[in-house]
Amino acid sequence: MALQEDNLWYKDAVIYQLHVRTFCDSNGDGIGDFVGLTQRLDYLQELGTNTIWLLPFYPSPLRDDGYDIADYTTVHPSYGTLDDFKAFLTAAHNRGLRVIIEMVMNHTSDQHPWFQEARSSQDNPKRDWYVWSDTDTKYKGVRIIFIDTELSNWSWDPVSKSYYWHRFFSHQPDLNFDNPMVFEAMWEIMKFWLDMGVDGFRLDAVPYLVEREGTSCENLPETHAIIKEVRKRLDQFYPGRMLLAEANQWPADVRAYFGDGDEFHAAFHFPLMPRMFMAVKLEDRKPIIEILDQTPPIPDNCQWCIFLRNHDELTLEMVTDVERDYMYDEYATDKTMRINLGIRRRLAPMMENDRRRIELLNGLLMSMPGTPIVYYGDEIGMGDNIYLGDRNGVRTPMQWNGGTNAGFSFADPERLYSPLISNSVYGYQVVNVDSQRRFSHSLLSWMKALIKTRNSYRVFSRGTMEFLRPSNHRVLAYIRELGNERILVVNNLSSSAQAVELDVQRYKGYIPIEMFGRNLFPRFGELPYLLTLGPYQFYWFRLRRI
Amino acid sequence: MADETFLSDDLLRQLMSVGEVDLLVGILAHRSASTVRRAAHYVEKSLQQNFVRQRVAIISVDGGAVEDSGSDDHSGDGQVRMSLPSKGLSSLRTIHRITAGFNGAPSPGLALRTILSSSDLLRAKACAVVSPATSSTSPEWVANLLRPAFRDSFDFVAPLYSRHKFQGLLARNLLYPMTRALFGRRIRELYSDEWAFSNRLGTFCVNEDVWHEEPVRSRPEAWMGISALTSDFRCCQVYLGEKPPPPDGAGPDLVEVLRQTVGSLFWLLETHEQAWMERKGSEVVPTFGPDHAVTAEPMEVDRVRMFEMFQTGVKELGPLLRSILSPETLESIQGIATLDQQSFRFSPELWVTMLYEFAASYHHSVINRDHLVQALVPLYRGKIYSFLTEFSEASATDMEAVSENLCLEFERQKPYLTEKWKAGVEVKS
Amino acid sequence: MRVTIVQGLEQAYYNLVHMIAEFLPRFVVMVVIILVGLLAAYLLGHIFRAVLRLTKLDRVSEDAGASRVLRMADLPSMTELLSRSIFWITWLGFILIGISVLGVAGLQEQISRLFRFLPEVFIAMLILFLGLVLANFLSRAALLASVNAGIRSPKIWSWSIRFVIWILAISMALDELGLARQTVLAAFSIVFGASMLGLAIAFGLGGQDLARRALERYLGNSAKEKYKEPQPL
Repeated sequence: MALQEDNLWYKDAVIYQLHVRTFCDSNGDGIGDFVGLTQRLDYLQELGTNTIWLLPFYPSPLRDDGYDIADYTTVHPSYGTLDDFKAFLTAAHNRGLRVIIEMVMNHTSDQHPWFQEARSSQDNPKRDWYVWSDTDTKYKGVRIIFIDTELSNWSWDPVSKSYYWHRFFSHQPDLNFDNPMVFEAMWEIMKFWLDMGVDGFRLDAVPYLVEREGTSCENLPETHAIIKEVRKRLDQFYPGRMLLAEANQWPADVRAYFGDGDEFHAAFHFPLMPRMFMAVKLEDRKPIIEILDQTPPIPDNCQWCIFLRNHDELTLEMVTDVERDYMYDEYATDKTMRINLGIRRRLAPMMENDRRRIELLNGLLMSMPGTPIVYYGDEIGMGDNIYLGDRNGVRTPMQWNGGTNAGFSFADPERLYSPLISNSVYGYQVVNVDSQRRFSHSLLSWMKALIKTRNSYRVFSRGTMEFLRPSNHRVLAYIRELGNERILVVNNLSSSAQAVELDVQRYKGYIPIEMFGRNLFPRFGELPYLLTLGPYQFYWFRLRRI
Repeated sequence: MADETFLSDDLLRQLMSVGEVDLLVGILAHRSASTVRRAAHYVEKSLQQNFVRQRVAIISVDGGAVEDSGSDDHSGDGQVRMSLPSKGLSSLRTIHRITAGFNGAPSPGLALRTILSSSDLLRAKACAVVSPATSSTSPEWVANLLRPAFRDSFDFVAPLYSRHKFQGLLARNLLYPMTRALFGRRIRELYSDEWAFSNRLGTFCVNEDVWHEEPVRSRPEAWMGISALTSDFRCCQVYLGEKPPPPDGAGPDLVEVLRQTVGSLFWLLETHEQAWMERKGSEVVPTFGPDHAVTAEPMEVDRVRMFEMFQTGVKELGPLLRSILSPETLESIQGIATLDQQSFRFSPELWVTMLYEFAASYHHSVINRDHLVQALVPLYRGKIYSFLTEFSEASATDMEAVSENLCLEFERQKPYLTEKWKAGVEVKS
Repeated sequence: MRVTIVQGLEQAYYNLVHMIAEFLPRFVVMVVIILVGLLAAYLLGHIFRAVLRLTKLDRVSEDAGASRVLRMADLPSMTELLSRSIFWITWLGFILIGISVLGVAGLQEQISRLFRFLPEVFIAMLILFLGLVLANFLSRAALLASVNAGIRSPKIWSWSIRFVIWILAISMALDELGLARQTVLAAFSIVFGASMLGLAIAFGLGGQDLARRALERYLGNSAKEKYKEPQPL
């Protein structure tokens, strides 16, 4: 299956996020690799996803799960070779799967040759590639992102006897984009991968590219100028490739990263994500409606990316203190589950392994406007291990079967890069791809059906959204519309059965067809349309006028 | 379960949308959009600040115009959103606003019944009732009322105010001491514009078949409070703050106030006869916050006219009072009515005796009951005149001592009431 | 001649005996009816008394002020009065029926006229009673309202209302009985009209100042302060 030529393909994407390390180990060293990943591409194709987002696979000391990059133009030996990557890329494309890789522009590992050179002396040509200062008082008041581990955004370098700036871990010094050579170097790196055929980049930590005194050092105009330049060159030389922004900001602030359609193609909608979880716990649609009401419109060629969970903690930066406390109390009662300003748990454990809630949230993910991202393992309801350090509890090996090492590796279990989940609820013996493949009612089968249905109608990926606001606040209902295609989505956010009357007078005469069973429902008339929903149930109705 | 047929379809539909709540606040609305709006604003602010995680709803009864203020944003679904901040949410949960109108003439009793029914159907754990007429209703007041019922398992929460010594004279000289003496619990403000109750008490009250009775229609809060006092419900008081006087010209006149308050009190004595006859003495109820306070700044009151009306009343209503009072009591009253203004004093003993005889006569229906209560008005004026004259220079502490003595007098003479109550009236045949 | 006289006497004796023979049974029937009526009236009165006691009519009457009027007139209580009335009306009815059995010419017509008149008497009594009750109630209400509003001479209002209602009730009762209808109507109109005219003149001339002050207060132009009640609650 060849890739379709479409410069807006990212709008129709269903992205599967994974780390090559976690997916499949082909050589028995206990670490997943590209050869193993290539072997599992059929699974991804079968699932219905059409884009893979790979977490960093570059050489790295791995002190931040690969986001501390020591070499941008090759593959970490644990994961294979560059040729393995090329083979994987080709195989993916042959199956119609696009590949997005990480590009960490903001910082490098302190082991990167650039930094090694820069710190070697104050006169080194690459000295100015990073942000140095004789004191740690510059850019005062700028927030610290990793508050659990870092006390300052400045760290002392004993080699060059000066301070260097880092918005993340101290071993990840920030690059200095005020130096044009830095930009050019990064562009060369991007070209390297683009020439190889990757379909896009997720640019990590973009808000922090540039620093200026007296500011928050986030979202500065200079940062946007850099992004515009990247985009310009991309469109010129590599049309159809996409840039995905990681900007954990309020929607109004993220909006700037779309520019006038001349910056990022897509950006994560971070604030929506915790509010989906909040809405289900509160049994109230208010958090979702309010944040989407606050979300400004974006250029037609741009797209939000929405997600439930990812490799990081469920971030609670973009919520109020009251909301954060609520989320902690409801979803992270054990303080071990909390890290930085977030919750390091997977989807299924957060939903208490309640199949209905898991389905509801995935239903929201697949029906709300934006490109959905599925985090590896969530499609089978994998569990987590909160006792592993950092965010590693949500990065455990993929569970393929109930056999040795869950089918992830044939190495000795002790050699695995991370212990497997093996408890009686989420353990690999119980939760794995093989067992779920056998049953049509498994979560995996259900996810396949869900994704297939979503992929069948472009209205989900490109349509408008309008909330119906029935008086029952426990029901979230909206209409997706694209041209003549209309879909009514009705979600019961509560744990009890609900009745709801929808004002669909505007669609009088339309026949709602439930999309999973394809059954007809009574036609819309003048009066409010009464629906009843079971606990956490949702409907997708295609509205047809015949 | 509440009688759902009493509620309109529209209200029922609104309740269905709300589902279950933890807290309900009822606003006994007048037909004044601005006062309702202000009260609703305070209530919503209080709920957002103090009960951020709880499921809450606000119901405005006989809502008139309950539309939101200009700065609010209508979501078009019966919920009012405050202006959205640029970041974060306005509140964690949806705060529902329900409006309930009436078919026919509105009354406080009908309004309370609506609130009780709604509270029952919404399974609210606690409910507070506020009136927009009390313009000093502030966010803290609502929260203070709700807390004991919601968190501390109290069933009835009465307010407590700090007042000027010459405010609330009816309550100070009649309503409080009499209810204290007879029902045995020291709750000062049973006739107020705001109070709170638990789900348990609310369900009990809504199922009572008293809503057609005039005293319940006009003063339902007193009936509810007395019902709580006389049954197995936990009662408390909570200090709210200073009660401001009503705006000039606001509120019903004295005759109407007495008809409603004293009339309902006498009626409640009848309906809860067994309970008050068995009680002895009076108990303190738990009080949250500082005890009520009395302020004693100088205040000008027109007393002369009051005295004249008392004298006229005693003279002109002589034959009427003869049917109500005993000969000795009437003689005493007629005696003091002849005194001049300076030496006039209405002693607590005489006042209490007279009131108890009124109560007993009400019970025996010696004359039309409404007329009987109206006949009390000039005598009340006399008592107030005496009170104002005697204590115009008194300090706050002295006032409290005086009030306490009066309460004890009511308690001391309770057997007299019991005796008069049980005696029949002679009917010639 | 002697034979004629004897025959005449025999005929007269025969007629007398025949008359007596005819009259006696009717007389006996009349007595029986009267006695039965006595028993029925007694029973009915007794039942009525018991029923009225159950409905506590005396209390209502006391409350309406009617009992006081009865006492002033040295009449028994309302229950007793009505019970006795029922007794007498019932027995009277039976007596009249008994008398009608006698067959005395002309008497039957009078009796039936009397029977036709009885309901009107009853209604007239009812009108009077209701009028009495209403007069008492409203006059007391007016008295209380005037006293509590601080109006001077409140008894004038009270008595005026009582007087008007009495006049109305009496006129209606007499009209119901059909007694001197025209006279009563004219008299009532004159009395009522004159009273109203008198009050208007008295108020208009004598109460000019009062009227002016009342209007001023109403329209809010008064310079004097309105009496303010201290806050009761």
